[in-house]
Amino acid sequence: MNRQDFIDRFRRGLRGLPQSAMTESIADYETHFAEAMAAGRSESEVSAALGDPDRLAREVRAQIGLKRWDMERNPSAAANAIFAVLGLGAIDILILLPILMWIAGVIFAFALAAIALFCVGAVMMVVGPVVVHPPPMAALILAGLGLIGAGAFAGSVAGIGAILCTHALVWYGRLHLRILQPALEPQGQLS
Amino acid sequence: MVEAVQVQLKKGVLELCVLALLSHTDAYGYEIASRLATGIEMGEGTVYPLMRRMQTEGLVTTYLVESPTGPSRKYYRITDLGRTRFESQKTEWTAFSAAVDAILGEAS
Repeated sequence: MNRQDFIDRFRRGLRGLPQSAMTESIADYETHFAEAMAAGRSESEVSAALGDPDRLAREVRAQIGLKRWDMERNPSAAANAIFAVLGLGAIDILILLPILMWIAGVIFAFALAAIALFCVGAVMMVVGPVVVHPPPMAALILAGLGLIGAGAFAGSVAGIGAILCTHALVWYGRLHLRILQPALEPQGQLS
Repeated sequence: MVEAVQVQLKKGVLELCVLALLSHTDAYGYEIASRLATGIEMGEGTVYPLMRRMQTEGLVTTYLVESPTGPSRKYYRITDLGRTRFESQKTEWTAFSAAVDAILGEAS
């Protein structure tokens, strides 16, 4: 593999990252090639010594994903971090995937229940007094409010669950980025 | 599987090695990469994502120096935080490897 092939494959692996991050990372390897060739090594020799460009791109991706999650806690950053970490270790996914699927299922169920409760509550409160004769106003409105409350509660439980999950995944990803450090430190002091 | 464990192991100590190297003197990327590659047989490329991470974590800072032969070189300098991290990792590593050595010694 010559210099151009290496850089091209690396660039392809980084597709979708912010432009500045891509340029910076690519520049690292461009400089490396320039230095190595000034030292008299051949292009193919250098790219062999550098390692697999796809794997390197995955590593860069995972790091940027984790960094973003540290700075902005929102669903898109979470998804980003999760996928980046998943891209890192092909073996662990086999172990991790069933657990992840299960947790995602539970969270999804909670979210669905939340929406359902909320809707039923709202319908009961608004339509109930019109349809039922004679309307037990107070009972209907109170029951409706109760259901809406329960819905909101289930919704926040699902939300908290999702956040905790992402935290756990990020922690897990860090473990892979450096075993020595996090394995010996309590989880709270990681970053 | 064994190969994956080896990669993970080496990656774990890579940060320690870089910190050790920089604790003696500032160095530029290519220098670090080639020294570590010959030392512990790692793909040279792994060094660069690592250096970026260490920079974000404030363990190293960088400055540019013009090079006579090619593009200007980015030098890395260890920070105080980096030195603290180095000392604690070094202690951990020494204790860990001594324990492993002891067990290997018993086994043989």
